[in-house]
Amino acid sequence: MSQKYNFSLTTFSPSGKLVQIEYALQAVSGGATSIGIKTTEGAVIASEKKMGSILVDEQSITKVDKLTERIGMVYSGMGPDKRVLLAKGRKLAQQYFMTYREQIPTRMLVRELANVMQEYTQRGGVRPFGVSLLVVGFDQHTEKPALYQVDPSGSFFAWKATALGRNMINAKAFLEKRYNDELELEDAVHTAILTLKEGFEGQMTENNIEIGIADSAGFRRLEPTEIKDYLAAIAA
Amino acid sequence: MSIMEYNGSAVVAMTGKECVAIAADRRLGAQAQTVSTDFQKVFQMGPKLFVGLPGLGTDAITVSQRLKFRLNMYTLREERDIEPKTMINLVSSFLYERRFGPYFVEPVVAGLDSKNQPYVASTDLIGCPMETSDFVVGGTSSEQLYGMCESLYKPDMAPDDLFETISQALMNAVDRDCLAGWGAIVHIIEKDKITTRELKARMD
Amino acid sequence: MSSTDKTVLASAGFHGDVLTLVKRIGVRMQNYEYQHRKPMSTPACAQMLATMLYGKRFFPYYTYNILAGLDADGKGCVFSYDPVGSYEREHYRAAGTASALLQPFLDNQARALARIPDYIGRKNQQGVVFEPISKERAMTIIKDVFTSAAERDIYTGDAVDIRIVTKDGLEEHRFPLRCD
Repeated sequence: MSQKYNFSLTTFSPSGKLVQIEYALQAVSGGATSIGIKTTEGAVIASEKKMGSILVDEQSITKVDKLTERIGMVYSGMGPDKRVLLAKGRKLAQQYFMTYREQIPTRMLVRELANVMQEYTQRGGVRPFGVSLLVVGFDQHTEKPALYQVDPSGSFFAWKATALGRNMINAKAFLEKRYNDELELEDAVHTAILTLKEGFEGQMTENNIEIGIADSAGFRRLEPTEIKDYLAAIAA
Repeated sequence: MSIMEYNGSAVVAMTGKECVAIAADRRLGAQAQTVSTDFQKVFQMGPKLFVGLPGLGTDAITVSQRLKFRLNMYTLREERDIEPKTMINLVSSFLYERRFGPYFVEPVVAGLDSKNQPYVASTDLIGCPMETSDFVVGGTSSEQLYGMCESLYKPDMAPDDLFETISQALMNAVDRDCLAGWGAIVHIIEKDKITTRELKARMD
Repeated sequence: MSSTDKTVLASAGFHGDVLTLVKRIGVRMQNYEYQHRKPMSTPACAQMLATMLYGKRFFPYYTYNILAGLDADGKGCVFSYDPVGSYEREHYRAAGTASALLQPFLDNQARALARIPDYIGRKNQQGVVFEPISKERAMTIIKDVFTSAAERDIYTGDAVDIRIVTKDGLEEHRFPLRCD
């Protein structure tokens, strides 16, 4: 049977395109905006977190997640698909640690995640992931931060700063104007918030955005109280 | 008859000041009968990294090849040289995969890390790692080597001094072990060079 | 360890057998003195010990022995044994649980000093000055090897008893080792 049938949903169109991947990218560009900025001391990721209803408990849903003690990620696109990648990413990171007793470098984990995503464009019976990821980390062996984007096709890129999702084009244009190589980590957090604010519908609060920071101390997601302070500083 | 003592072997590694040394005997025997006197037990695994594999000769060859394979994959993937500390964990996890049908070797790792600090460590045949600041030993002469190293070793030796110490430790240890000896090889690893010397030893 | 003023015995292994062996040696040395009207010489004692050990060939004393003293010419002598009485006169010897650790070090450090003819210089060393072993040098080596043994051999430690036999008599020392 396996010789007769092909169960892959992602097959070439006559023009040579994989339309399933294009649909996946469509799902990403319809998703919530995410921002990533790299500085010399660390990297920041941020995303909007709009709820469908005011009745949802915001604390139960996360957009910024920890992959390892040093690496974190944020996504644009479909939440449930991200959860699968997060679980796989965490497992791959721990497998690496089991072999080498050393934290996986960000680039290695990004590669592993990209491999997973590529596999889902070729295997039978599955569809591509409806998410793009921004992965940040601070590596022990380089003592430098890293920022990567991973796409549903399985391709990945390193960025100084970038954006994903609904407002990607405007956000990228904004970042191009704001970014410079001497940016400090605190400035980067401000820039990330300001970029998100561009095209943000409604009032931005500490509960409808999320921010993650990777620096020499590791990766952490900012508490709502910390975000509140940043928002206050920007308003002032 | 223990498989670990079938071929006979002695490997020792020592730290010095910004240098490390690893030394091994050259004998391969079948119990008391000597078969070869130029058997390789120490393998170069990087620009400043060596692994010694005392134990069963056939497994030493296999393990050296499989470790080299894993190491090449690592260097290709990561686009950098492996740290000695990572190497011992690679060795450890490699051996533990065969927990219930082990390779009969007790690897000894010696090298300089990316900051040129000396590093020595060893594992048992199922990959239990042991990291020390002074010296590690392995093989049929390990008791004799412990005795020699414990009394001859001084911290922060210069390369010349380290060479003399590790050579004396190995030669006198194997002379009291009928399964090891018949020549010896010493590698001294410094930040800008590696010196390899073959020692003239008793051949009886 | 047990001794007369000319002969000392170091005995490692099962302490019950050590005590019995020492007691029986003591009885036979006393008897020897009564019958021969002179104390037993070290080489004679060495031969006697071999006979006694071999006498229990099929239910041996669980002891590793080293006998030391002065021979008829007044020269130092060391006799080493296996548990069933095979013995040999030597210049130096390590016995007991840490023997494998210590013996190669003695080869390295003491052999030339003990003027062994088949080697010139210390073992595996070249251009070493050939000199007779001094009492101080012997003491230093012994303290060093026991310190090393206590480091790695769990059965060695606390203290080492040292006896020195000279023509003028017996010296006794106790040197502390690590106590864990």
